[in-house]
Parts: sequence; C-alpha cells; structure tokens
Amino acid sequence: MKKFIKNNGTFIALIFLIIILSFLSSSFLSSRNLTNLVRQITINGIIAVGMTMVILLAGIDLSVGSIVGLAAVSVTLLMQAGFGMWLAILITLVGVGGVLGFFNGFMSSKFDIHPFIITLGVMTIARGLSLVLTQGVSVPVTNTTFADIGSGYIAKLPSLIVLLVALILGIIAVFKTSVEYKNGEKVRNKARLTGGIILSIAGFLAGVFIFIGYQGIPIPVAIFAVIVMAGVYTLRKTRFGRKLYAIGGNEKVAWLSGINILRSKTMVFVITGILSAASGILLASRLNGASPNLGDGFELDAIASVIIGGTSFMGGVGTITGTVIGAIIIGVINNGMSLLGINTFYQMIVKGFIIILAVMIDVLNRRESA
Amino acid sequence: MSEKILEMKNIIKDFPGVRALDKVNFTLEKGEILALVGENGAGKSTLMKVLSGVWPYPSYEGDIYLRDQLVRFANTREAEEAGIGIIHQELNLLPDLSVAENIYLDRQPLGKFGGIKWRELYQQAEKVLARLNMDINPRMQLGDLTVGKQQMVEIAKALSLNTKILVFDEPTSALTESEIKELFIVINELRASGVSIIYISHKMEEIEEIADSVVVLRDGATIGDKIKISEVTLDEIIARMVGRDINDLFPKQEFKRGAKTLEVKNITVPDPFNPDKNLVDDVSFTAYKGEILGISGLMGAGRTELVNAIFGVYGKKRTGEIFLNGNQLAINSPADAIESGIALVTEDRKELGLLLDKNLIMNMTLPSLKKFSSSFTIDKNAEKETSENYVKQLNIKTPSLDVFVEKLSGGNQQKVVIGKWLITNSDVLILDEPTRGIDVGAKVEVYRLMNQLVEEGVTVIMISSELPEIMGMSDRIIVMSEGEKTAELTRQEADQETIMKYATGNKGVE
Repeated sequence: MKKFIKNNGTFIALIFLIIILSFLSSSFLSSRNLTNLVRQITINGIIAVGMTMVILLAGIDLSVGSIVGLAAVSVTLLMQAGFGMWLAILITLVGVGGVLGFFNGFMSSKFDIHPFIITLGVMTIARGLSLVLTQGVSVPVTNTTFADIGSGYIAKLPSLIVLLVALILGIIAVFKTSVEYKNGEKVRNKARLTGGIILSIAGFLAGVFIFIGYQGIPIPVAIFAVIVMAGVYTLRKTRFGRKLYAIGGNEKVAWLSGINILRSKTMVFVITGILSAASGILLASRLNGASPNLGDGFELDAIASVIIGGTSFMGGVGTITGTVIGAIIIGVINNGMSLLGINTFYQMIVKGFIIILAVMIDVLNRRESA
Repeated sequence: MSEKILEMKNIIKDFPGVRALDKVNFTLEKGEILALVGENGAGKSTLMKVLSGVWPYPSYEGDIYLRDQLVRFANTREAEEAGIGIIHQELNLLPDLSVAENIYLDRQPLGKFGGIKWRELYQQAEKVLARLNMDINPRMQLGDLTVGKQQMVEIAKALSLNTKILVFDEPTSALTESEIKELFIVINELRASGVSIIYISHKMEEIEEIADSVVVLRDGATIGDKIKISEVTLDEIIARMVGRDINDLFPKQEFKRGAKTLEVKNITVPDPFNPDKNLVDDVSFTAYKGEILGISGLMGAGRTELVNAIFGVYGKKRTGEIFLNGNQLAINSPADAIESGIALVTEDRKELGLLLDKNLIMNMTLPSLKKFSSSFTIDKNAEKETSENYVKQLNIKTPSLDVFVEKLSGGNQQKVVIGKWLITNSDVLILDEPTRGIDVGAKVEVYRLMNQLVEEGVTVIMISSELPEIMGMSDRIIVMSEGEKTAELTRQEADQETIMKYATGNKGVE
C-alpha cells in the first residue's frame, strides 16, 4: 500500500485536487467546464510530450514557447498569402517546428554545447522573427474551416464510439501488462488487473460525462490523444525509445554501445519542435488569429508538467503517462484558481511552489530508496 | 611485536535478508601489516565499515577493543579521533584545492576572526609530508599530482589525524609499478613508526611482498585463524578464499592457430594536449583465429588508447588502416566497429560499460538492439529469452532480470558487460582489463570463457596489467611503452623479466 502511494503519488494528488475543487466550486464538475479544461490542457500537453523526451536525455528546450508563437504567426500569414490551409499547416510544421528543432538538436549535440544555451538563443530568435513578420501586431485568420481545428468537436455518436474503442483497447492492454514472470512461469498480478480495469471503466465514464455530456470530443483533444499514444508507444516499444533511455542513463556507455548520439538527440529536438509548432497552430485556430507574443512562457508549463510527472532532470528516467498527469494537474490548478476568482498573478506564485514541491518529493523518494 | 592494539570479537552484521558478517574474529598488533583477503562480497568492506564507524554500534553485534578498551563508535568522526584511518580505493580528495588544504580540510589553523592562517597551514602540511619522505609542495593544486602522489596526500591526511590503525582498501589498483614500490616503502616506514596496517587487496603477489600475516574472509566469516605469511603458500590462501582448491589459476587451453582475422597497420593517435607526442604511435599487429593475443605494458603505455582507436573512439583523428578477414574497414565510431564485427569490453565497467540504474536486459541487448527488432519495435520476449540464456551460460548470479545492475557484485557486473558483447556475435572480442576488481572465482570463470570463445572461432585480444594473467592466458604478447609497440613475444619467449624490459622502453622490434 505504501509502495502504491509512492509510485502513484502524482495521480493520487490529482484525484485529491479534483475532489477539493469540486467542493469549493460548484461549476468545476460541469461537463462544459471540464471539456474546456481538457481542451486547454492539450496546448501545453502536446509540447510536454516532446519535452519529456528532451528531459529524458538530460536536456532542456527553452525555445518551445517561441516556436508556438512563430508557428501561429506563420500559419496565419501563409493563409493570408493565399496558401491552402493544409499546405500552410504542413509548411509551418516542417519549416518552423522541424527546422528550428533540428537547429536546436544538431547544434547542441554536434558541438557539445548545453541545449540550455542553444535553445535560449533560438527562443529569442524565434520570438524576434514573429515580431518582425507581424510588425508587432496581431494577424487575424481569414480561413473559416481553419477555426474548426481548434474549436470544433467530433459529433456525439462518433465520440461515444471512439470512447468505447478506447475502453476495449484499454482493457486489452491491462490484460497484457498484468502478466508477470515468476520463476519462469506466467503469473497474473490480480491487483494490477482489477485496478487497471476499474481505472479503464472510470476513465470511460469520465469521458462520457465530460464529452458526451457537452458537445462531444474537442478535435484538439483527439489530436492530443493520438500524440500521447504515439509517444507512449515510442518510448516503451521502439528501438528509438530504448536509445533515449540509454543515452539519458549514461551517454558515454550508449555511444560505446554503438548508438548514434547525434542522430537520436537531433531527432528528439526535431520532434519537440514539430509538436510545439502543432500546438501553435491549434492555438491560432482556436483564437482565430495570432499575436506575436503567443506562447510566451509556455516552456515553463511544459517543463513543470514533465517534472511533476516524475521525469528525472538527470535524464534516463521518466514516462509520458506521468507527464500527461503532470499536465492535467497544472491545467486543473489554473482552471480551479480561475473559477475561484484568484488573480492570475497569484496563480503564478502557487504554480511555482507546486513545481518545487514535486521535485522535493521526487528527491526525497529517491534518497529513501538509495 | 606482541602488543595487541585491536581486537574484533564475534562481529555480526545483518542487512535485510543477508548476514554480511557472521562472527568475525581477528586481532591486530602494534606495527603489524595484516592482509585482509577474500572474494568480492566476502565482507571485507563491511567489516571495515564497522571498524570505522560507518555502521555505528547498535547496527552490528559483537565487540571492538582498542588497546583492550571496549569502543563503540557512533560515527566516523569518533573512529577517526580514536586513531582509525581508511585510505579508500577511490580517493576522497578535492582536486581543485591545494595539497595542504586537502590534508587539513575543516581543521585549518584559524586566526582571531576566523580567517585561515595560510603560512601555518603550509608549514604543518610540510611537516606531515616530510614524515612520508615525500617531495610534494603543499601549495600545489591536488589535481596536478599523479594518482600515486594524491594517494600519498591521503596518507598524510590520515597521519595528521594521529592515526594508529590505517586501513588500505585496494590501494594499488590505479598505481604504476614504480608508484607501488614507493607506496610499499611508505607502508614499511609507517610500520616501523608503530602504525598498524590492515591491507585489503586482490593481488596475491602484493600481499606476499608487504604483509606480515593474513586473515581470510569467506561468506562473511573468518576462515581459520590469522596466519603468518611466511608459514603459508599463496595457493593455500586462495584455497581458503574460494573454499576449494584451485590447482590451475590459469586454465589455458591451446588451440591450433587459424586464419588471419584482425590486422591493423600504422595505427596512430595524436595526443590532444601535446602536439609532439602520440598517444598511440605507429602500431601494427595481426591477430588470428584460435589464439588469444595479449597486450601488456605499464599504466599509460597506450594500450587502452590502441584498442579504443581500433574501436573508433577517436573517430577521424586516428590514422592507419584496419583490416578484418582481408577487407579494409572504415571505422570512425564505435557504431562502425560493432557493425564490422568488433566488440570492446571497456576497462571501466561502471563509467563506460554499464547503465547502472537500468536492468540486466536493457544492458545486455543495448549494442545489438537491431537483432531484437523488426523495423522499429523491440521484441521484448526475444530480448528476455536471449538475456536469460546468457545469464545462465555466464553463471551470472542475480535474483532476476529486472534488477538494476548496480546491485550486482563486481564479478557479476563484469559478466554482464561481457555478455552484452557476446550477444553481438562479433568476430573479434577485445577485453580491456577483464578481471580488474573481480574475485578469484570469477576470474577463473572469465578465463574459461575466453578459452571457449577461442575454440568457437572468436579472435580474443586481452589487455592486462597483471603479468601472471597475461603470461598465463595469451598465445602471443604485444608489449607497449609510451604509445609504441616495443616487442611481440610468443608464449614461450615471454617471462616476467623480458616483458618488463620491453614495457620500460627497451625496443625489441623495429
């Protein structure tokens, strides 16, 4: 039991947070509020998925917020210039996210400069580019279908089907992962099995309550879910994911074991750049326009989500599911404090303390187990 | 010398699930050098931790008497004050501070306002260093000294604490031959001045040379009584350590020499800090199937650099040609070398060989991930099966495959590193100091494995600093000095004197 609490500390903290908020504010638990909450989380969550991989490598990416801004500006300006929506999105993902991410990763690992420095530089460069391109003023979106990406919903019936499929897949996954080997024999971990099934059903019911109770699954949430699943799969199952854990664990050992460090690191920053750009595009769509200061400070929320989610700053240890919980916690705190009428200035202070608290718990846990 | 200074009686120390020390008894006399030997995990370090207060009193059972007085240390400082000092294998010094500051860390002579009285500090340090006959300037930055000299500073630090009992834990593992000689002179002088010494080492020759008597630990218990070194043979000591007779420490098997496999020509690696010098200077050699090629030489002779160069560690800075089975290879990174069929078991397993906070499976399959994956996805069952096979084959003692490798003993860790490279199925396996810091039993297992690999057609190249090992296991021996190859000897030609002659710079080839 003690071990269970320790291993799932952030998740339990999240449940408590939700219970407390539902008592403090009557509107917190409404389908409408929760749908909006989840949609807000996706903007930070998508970036945080990439940031998890960066921090797994014991790196950091400070440029994500600026890439969000530049991507938003880029996609709007490209559409204004007459490019089709999809082409504008593609150019932005590759030309803004991919190129800047490549620059971050390649420069820092080829010349062995700490990514803190390189991404700090790119953070300023990208922000400057946004300001230059827009002359410092907001640009409106003219394309009407573009707005649907950020604000649209999957209709209720298909949403329900999606949730059902997710439930079935979830239960299958629980069955698969609850098998343990003891002395060469397959043993089913009953606690994990029942816990997993209860969690899957609870998740399904929550999904039905939140989304079907309002207008269906918001499109950004669906995109986020796909990104999270891809991320989890990458880290757990693929060679690339394994290499990241190895590099984060000990870069020298990984290199001597034949891993191409430059390629893996560059790849991670490219992925993070593209995800940040995607986040920027969603934001522009939702706001129906882009201001050059969009995404300012987003790197902090992304880093905080990753750290709260239990990824070690020293690299080599961490999961995307943890990060998702971290992102939800940050989203819930922001949303809850707004509902309670707490000034955003105070919100910043509270968030800062929570980040420090999360790291403290992590450090103390590790010291105890050492 | 019969004045008993230390007696440890019935020491028992339990860790959850394991009894690390089981009624250990021994005595130490004034001015005695006592060798404490035993395999890794036999309890030597734990015993010394009990003695030095790392494990304070109620955490162990039994009694410790210093000059017939019962002592129960609550912490390491109390042990220090009672005159017990330890020179650890890894030195506990600060490289950026001066020698004197290191010796008197936290105990500097202070003036009225809490400022350090530097002149007095240096004078005191000079005095302590003089006791060791060491010509070390106390104002020098510690990091600028050689490892051997740094160790002397550590000894000086212990002496400045008025130490009566000094424990050396594997003190020679990082020292050159001449530094070891210097250390032994100092140890003998310390004995003459009445300091008692407990000397922990794996190296039997050293124990024979320096110790007066020996106590053997096995599985946490003392085996037999303390014996005078003059009354016992090394084989008897080893038999006590492993609990069985080892009639042959080096189970060398000779096979018929096969085809030429690895051939390197004019390998040169420049010294990044000294343009006039090369780390590896124009070295060529050939290795064959069916034989073990030994590379001998002193610390810093360029042996590790040579094999690293072949393994692609220096990238394009290396010049010279590498051929495998007649084909020239373009090796610019370890990945290239692995791809071509060359594997390197690195010297430092903790820093360069293992992901310490990862499990066995992850460590063992890392260089051959491609074998366990179709396209992008890793087949975890195949991975597990292969790891399990190698754990069995190499006799790796571990509770499960999910254990972090940092929890394993040195010998088992080394086997994991070797296993990781065996899984790559390489044609050439290079082993850099494969038995450093592992116990006698595990050493013999590594030797047997080398035999088996040679029989299977793998070309084995071994670097070793231990002459008996290099002579016992190699079919041919390359000797290096100052980055150059100075000799190539057959098994028959190689004896200790000849190897040392070439290792110290005499040239036999040209």
